[in-house]
Amino acid sequence: MESSDASMEVAVASSDPKSSSLPPKPSFAPLKAQDMYDGRVQFRKVSVPPHRYSPLKKSWMDIYTPVYEQMKIDIRMNLKSRKVELKTRADTPDVSNLQKCADFVQAFMMGFDVIDAIALLRLDELYLESFEIKDVKTLKGEHLSRAIGRLSGKGGKTKFAIENATKTRIVIADTKIHILGSFANIKVARNSLCSLILGSPAGKVYSKLRVVTSRLAERF
Amino acid sequence: MSTDEPSCLDILRRLKSTDPPLWLAPNPSLSQQARNASLVLFSSLRPHAPQSPVDHLLIDGFDAEQIWQQIELQSHPLLSLLKREVKRFEKSPREISRIFAEDPQRKDIPPEVQEREGRKEEEDVDEFDEDEAGASEDLDEEGDGAEEEEEEDGAEEEDEDRDEDESESGDEGAKGGIEDGFLKIKELEEYLQKDEAREYGFEDSAKKKAGNKERRGIDEDDSSDEGEKDDGDDDEPGGFGLDDDEEEEEIENARYEDFFGGNRKKAQRKPKVKDNSEEDASDEEDGDDRENENEQGNHNLSTHEKELLNMKSKIEQMETANLEPKTWTMQGEVTAAKRPKNSALEVDLDFEHNARPAPVITEEVTASLEDLIRKRIMEAHFNDVEKPPSLPGKGPREIKELDENKSKKGLAEIYEDEYATKANLVSAPSSFSDEQKKEATLLFKKLCLKLDALSHFHFAPKPVIEDMSIQANVPALAMEEIAPLAVSDAAMLAPEEVFSGKGDVKDESELTQADRKRRRAKKKRIHKAEEAKRMAKKTKHRTTPNPDEGKED
Repeated sequence: MESSDASMEVAVASSDPKSSSLPPKPSFAPLKAQDMYDGRVQFRKVSVPPHRYSPLKKSWMDIYTPVYEQMKIDIRMNLKSRKVELKTRADTPDVSNLQKCADFVQAFMMGFDVIDAIALLRLDELYLESFEIKDVKTLKGEHLSRAIGRLSGKGGKTKFAIENATKTRIVIADTKIHILGSFANIKVARNSLCSLILGSPAGKVYSKLRVVTSRLAERF
Repeated sequence: MSTDEPSCLDILRRLKSTDPPLWLAPNPSLSQQARNASLVLFSSLRPHAPQSPVDHLLIDGFDAEQIWQQIELQSHPLLSLLKREVKRFEKSPREISRIFAEDPQRKDIPPEVQEREGRKEEEDVDEFDEDEAGASEDLDEEGDGAEEEEEEDGAEEEDEDRDEDESESGDEGAKGGIEDGFLKIKELEEYLQKDEAREYGFEDSAKKKAGNKERRGIDEDDSSDEGEKDDGDDDEPGGFGLDDDEEEEEIENARYEDFFGGNRKKAQRKPKVKDNSEEDASDEEDGDDRENENEQGNHNLSTHEKELLNMKSKIEQMETANLEPKTWTMQGEVTAAKRPKNSALEVDLDFEHNARPAPVITEEVTASLEDLIRKRIMEAHFNDVEKPPSLPGKGPREIKELDENKSKKGLAEIYEDEYATKANLVSAPSSFSDEQKKEATLLFKKLCLKLDALSHFHFAPKPVIEDMSIQANVPALAMEEIAPLAVSDAAMLAPEEVFSGKGDVKDESELTQADRKRRRAKKKRIHKAEEAKRMAKKTKHRTTPNPDEGKED
């Protein structure tokens, strides 16, 4: 009958099968972070890749401040294990804060800027998507290099164009591509990136982008 | 003849002595006398004219005309014979003396004729002389003389003839008065003629004519006069050179062919003619011989005859030219193979050129062109081909420019701004186009204000009534009974209105797999959009958003 027996801390009100009147519905206050998991402290650990070590060091305060101040999550860098550790505090308002912070740090580790990654803390609907070039098309050697070049464009202009048009952020890390943005925008960005990988020229991608984004904008 | 002579002479004298007015009225005695006299004369002349068919002049019961015919029959050849004789005599005076010595009887006849028969003979001779003198004249002269004769013979004649003859007889009478044994008018005239001929060359023609008339008679008409005259002229000197006897024999042997046929004459002429034997041989043909004769005798022709000769030769030339094949320039279409080589270069060909000839470039032309160019450049008036302005059917769509630079705002800020505009907390920052629109509307308002001020703000614009009218895509011609001459199809639907090119052009059966996928994806997209709209409407009502929604974990 009752689904969650073991995890539930709160005593289950035994329901007497009375014919005349039911006991009042229990009203529970929302669970706090500590109350969930039986008051135990939650941890999240995010490993730091070596190429993000020095940027992390540089922008540590930008990361630390919003996490600690606004999200009320403890954050620390474990130098030995090269990991960023996050811990809930007693006054963490929401359980999801921890996850958000973890995602934020993860995003930074992926390669996004702090200001871009901060959006993850502020907006719920933003997601991260990563895929590899070989998922789209098996390219080897020079073709791969050329595909990467096509993706970013001269001075990164193609990438920026896609970012600006779809309101997303893209990180191209060798063969891995990470996209940060809302769901629909991620899809559009992903499509354009895939068409670029497959070989269509940038102009074609631009025209398609224009059409799609205008349609997206008209929707509301 | 001698027995009749005195009576004849008497008769003639009597006739002569009658008063001229007596002749006016028909007098039977006078006519009878005249007939008798003519009979006598006829019989006297009979031995000299062997060709005359009538032995004696038939008077009784015969008309004046008939008597005259008989006389003429006799006298005609006689006259020509006499002419010939006289010509011969004047050519060779020795002959005359010889003849007179040999043949006193023969000699006597002409002086008899002259003296005995008095005026009549003189008249005859005079007539003969006149004939000779006016040789180019026709038989009319002879006719006149004969008429005179006839008049004297037969009184039943018309007044006109009598008058003519009287006048002539008067002239000849005067002549007769001047003449005496020493001065012979006839000889004088002959000499004069000779002189003239030497100067102008007439005498020969006269002689020719006389000679031809002697010989050919009516045949003259058929063949050209000139040739015959030439012939006669050429022949006669030779002819006159022969003996008299031979002449007589020739005359006696003369037959029909001499007058009406050419062969015998020509054959006879051959021994006579020394100079023109070639001509005779070829004379059997009519054509060329005449020409040869003409050439030979050209210097003796009149200008008219020469002209005629020239014309004839020209005509013959033209005829031969016409018979030959034409030159290539005269033939119709001639290819290069049909004409001689390089012959087109020599001929001055003239044909129409359809193309304008190329303009000759002179200094003036180039100077004018350069002036024009300079002027145009200064005015900036060029003939560039300009695109026709396309009417804007729809407003220009706002093309969102893709910014290729790294965005300065962070992602969070972008979404923040987006949310703010959506929630209308902060108005969206106006784009450049918005600013342009604002400026445009401002300017237009100012303009409208000024224009309205012109009409004191009373202008009321036409209200825009949008009404729908059904336009049938049928040409107006089909709808109207009486169609106007100019029927425009402007009222018909434009092709874009019929089919705008959008929508599903391909039929279900024509679709490829990719097309089908595309169509399905489109449908799904539309459906999803609608769904999303509905969902968005639903979420609007909800106050707190569900954090677990859409999470991937």
